[in-house]
Amino acid sequence: MATRVNPEFIDDLVRFGAEDVQLCYQCGDCSTVCPHADEIYKFPRKSMRLLQMGLEKKIETTLEPWLCYYCGQCSEQCPREADPGETMMSLRRWLISRYDFTGLARLFFRSRTAEITAILIIAFFTGSFLLYYGFSGGGIGIYDGEGAFLPSSFIHRFDLTVGGILLIFLLLNAARMWKFTMIDGTHVKVPWWLYITEIWQFPWHFFTQKRYAECEKKHEHPVYMPWLLHLGLMLGYVTMLVLVMVFIEALQSGPEIVWQVHIFGYLASAGLMAGTIYFIRNRLKKNYVQYKKSHGTDWVFVILLTIIVVTGIAQHILHRTGVPEWANYVYVVHLMAVVPWLLRMPFSKWSHLIYRPLAMYFSSVRREAIKRQEAVFNNYPVFVK
Amino acid sequence: MRTGVFFCQTEDRKGINTDSIAKYAANLPEVETVQIIKVPPLPDVDYLAGQFRMNSLERVVIAGDLPGYYKPVFTRAMALAGGNPSEVRLASFMEHGARGENAMDRAKAIVACTVMGVPFPLAAIPGGNPVNHSTLIIGGGIAGIQAALEIANAGKQVYLVEQTGTIGGHMAMFDKTFPTLDCAACILTPKMVSVGQHEMIKLLTRSNVIAATGKPGSYRVKIRQKARFVDVKACVACNQCTEVCPVKVKSEFDAGISVRKAIYIPFPQAVPNAYLIDEESCTYILSNGEKCGVCAKKCPKECIDLKETDKILDIEVGTIILATGYDFLDVSKIEQYGYGKFPNVLTSIEFERLTNASGTTGGRIVAKSKRLNKKTGTEEWYFSPEGLPPRSVALIHCVGSRNKKYNPYCSRVCCMYSLKFAHLIKEKVPNVNVYEFYIDMRAFGKGYEEFAERIKQEGTFVVRGHSASVSMKGDQMLVRGEDILNDRLVEFEVDMVVLAVGLVPSKGTAELAQMLGIQRDNDGWFSELDYNGNPTDTDRGGIYVAGMCQAPKDIPDTVAQASAVAAGVLKNLTSGKGIGHLSSITLSEIEAKAKKIHVY
Repeated sequence: MATRVNPEFIDDLVRFGAEDVQLCYQCGDCSTVCPHADEIYKFPRKSMRLLQMGLEKKIETTLEPWLCYYCGQCSEQCPREADPGETMMSLRRWLISRYDFTGLARLFFRSRTAEITAILIIAFFTGSFLLYYGFSGGGIGIYDGEGAFLPSSFIHRFDLTVGGILLIFLLLNAARMWKFTMIDGTHVKVPWWLYITEIWQFPWHFFTQKRYAECEKKHEHPVYMPWLLHLGLMLGYVTMLVLVMVFIEALQSGPEIVWQVHIFGYLASAGLMAGTIYFIRNRLKKNYVQYKKSHGTDWVFVILLTIIVVTGIAQHILHRTGVPEWANYVYVVHLMAVVPWLLRMPFSKWSHLIYRPLAMYFSSVRREAIKRQEAVFNNYPVFVK
Repeated sequence: MRTGVFFCQTEDRKGINTDSIAKYAANLPEVETVQIIKVPPLPDVDYLAGQFRMNSLERVVIAGDLPGYYKPVFTRAMALAGGNPSEVRLASFMEHGARGENAMDRAKAIVACTVMGVPFPLAAIPGGNPVNHSTLIIGGGIAGIQAALEIANAGKQVYLVEQTGTIGGHMAMFDKTFPTLDCAACILTPKMVSVGQHEMIKLLTRSNVIAATGKPGSYRVKIRQKARFVDVKACVACNQCTEVCPVKVKSEFDAGISVRKAIYIPFPQAVPNAYLIDEESCTYILSNGEKCGVCAKKCPKECIDLKETDKILDIEVGTIILATGYDFLDVSKIEQYGYGKFPNVLTSIEFERLTNASGTTGGRIVAKSKRLNKKTGTEEWYFSPEGLPPRSVALIHCVGSRNKKYNPYCSRVCCMYSLKFAHLIKEKVPNVNVYEFYIDMRAFGKGYEEFAERIKQEGTFVVRGHSASVSMKGDQMLVRGEDILNDRLVEFEVDMVVLAVGLVPSKGTAELAQMLGIQRDNDGWFSELDYNGNPTDTDRGGIYVAGMCQAPKDIPDTVAQASAVAAGVLKNLTSGKGIGHLSSITLSEIEAKAKKIHVY
């Protein structure tokens, strides 16, 4: 099969954040210092090379960008200041837009105006709908129960609808990712049972993010700090998602506190707050390599998350302190942020929640398949010595 | 002839102010219009043609740094306007060297000449200052030695100033030269001896230039000669003083891998072949004559004078040659290679001294051994002649070179000397594995590519990929890298790592440049006048550059440049036209001369 070259690929990637790819002169320093590069997945240099050569189709099928957690060692080490870490980050953005079949992700990553307009439109419609629903059926002064402004049973149905839409897009995109990487990108025969024996990789990496912990530069950060905060942010997020999708009735009841449910909510909020503050602070201070360059979507990501967390906590407190009217208004604002956030998820950075553990899973399957084939040829990939 | 001057300058660079040149141009005779055109984009042809027609211009001058770029547009416009396209003339500031202090005057003169239709080099001929026939050479390395011999052999007086105790420079420290694997000392020492014995060369070791005044052809230079404390003429290098000297310090000549005494001779073939005392470590001098002094008592020739003082010399010379050479980048600041932390990580010059037959191990390549320092009670690593040879060695290229954090430029010699090291290790140590980590193999010279191929065929593992990590594993070091051509990550356990350290201008370069009024480039090397046309001249007339101090170069290039400099100097001395420089002629002189030519 002929390899297609896209000479404008690097220019295209500039919009996704990679500006200095052309500077790279292939010394391999980055691959040497990368804690995750191994004999099968060698990066970031190889990805830089593919980029320089404009092999768009080939990059589409690689898993390497997802194996990088952006510790920034490669960028620190790079003699050309070509910023391989940022390139890998940009490639992840590009891959997200590639897995997405609607083209919306590409639009949002390339244009801030489009992204913010889309968010505002969805927020506007959500707000209008909720206000219309609230005022037509209930009283603004009632938060929960009979005649509530936004009854929890309605919110539950509403959440499930939004979640369903999200899930459909996400699954379709994940399926595309599987096709690109495992069908188009794996040139060895993959036995079906490898998918079963390696399935544990998905939950393992999803819940522990162990590879992020391996990434730490201990001389620079307080030990495991970004990993813990990232994990806290993610677990808080997932917990909150489960609470909202499944236990919304209990969550919204009150004003007394239902400890067996709410304690999870508090923990999740704490994790979200800590993570958000840490990442905003670092992006503002630019104190580590990986926070030096912030793509526009990064800012939209953290700002929207901050709004959601703050309004969520605020409506909870207002409800409990006996100001249900204000609690309802804040709740509407909260949902106005949540709905675009959730609907945007398959088209944004946030989708790495699914893609990254999936990539770990796929990469592990591919690795085993390659090893199996090489065992057949009795030719293990070995370190020279 | 009705003339229009058009300035096409993208931006004002340092020293050039387009507006004031435009004002000057407007006052020139026959100039009808002066316009400053904003570029880019390229000026519009129709607009230009309209301007030409409106002012009925017969000649158009494009002025700017690179006016040639805009010439096609102006020529088309001129043709469109019905003028003579061959009367589109260029006033190029860049080409005629309008930069530095008198950039404005030069630019004005260039514009004036072009407006009059006189080629600038025809009007601006440097005047003939009388030339003093003696030459000062700063730096006694191979470049200085070569230039000194060439000039002195032509019968002209040379002062050779060297700041250490002997001439020879870095080349004297080397074992072999690439690619011929000739013995470096065998090439250098005869030249050194000739310099020492030459009646036309006045050798000033342990000396520094501290002030320089004057103009091309007659410079007055003040030189401080530090006390040597040993009479050069009387000393017979019997070594008795060194035997009794109690002070031990690291040897500069051995790149710090061995020790020397406070009274020492840098190396046995030193020129002048006499001992000297290092005033920074000698007990007698540091204690103001209260302690020690045994060497003076021991000396059978009584040639040691511990009370000698520094001398200030005033000399007058016509030309000055800069041959100050280079230093090595401080590699301990590049942390990932562990230099200074792991004992067997060496810089290239340390390895060079280790493998040199006159070095501390007699040329045996060994790993460092441990010993107890009795004074401090700590363990220290040193090269013992009985040490174990390394089983495997990694050579890492481009350490600090081609790196935006340290030296953005290529140091040019590292690839070749690393290949030479690979050969020497293979030759001297049986069953050794040598790994070369390189980014790009720069084998650019005569016979270099063949040399590189030969080294590969000798069984050196040549890894295309730079190593960025050296760590300890047991008593060996682990060097990690990416073998790009074989598409694999590699890890080698090695006993010794040799870093091909990047080169930087030598320490006094900045002060010397300031003292003499010479420009330096962004990397700190002396600037030549024109990289292609005048690679040996500098901005100041009568001052030349030779060797590494201009830019990194290998020995053949250094010697060639030194000889070229000598030719330039001798031309000045023998042509009878005297010496001059563009910087010495003023704007009005050029104008007057141009007018004279213009009339004819």
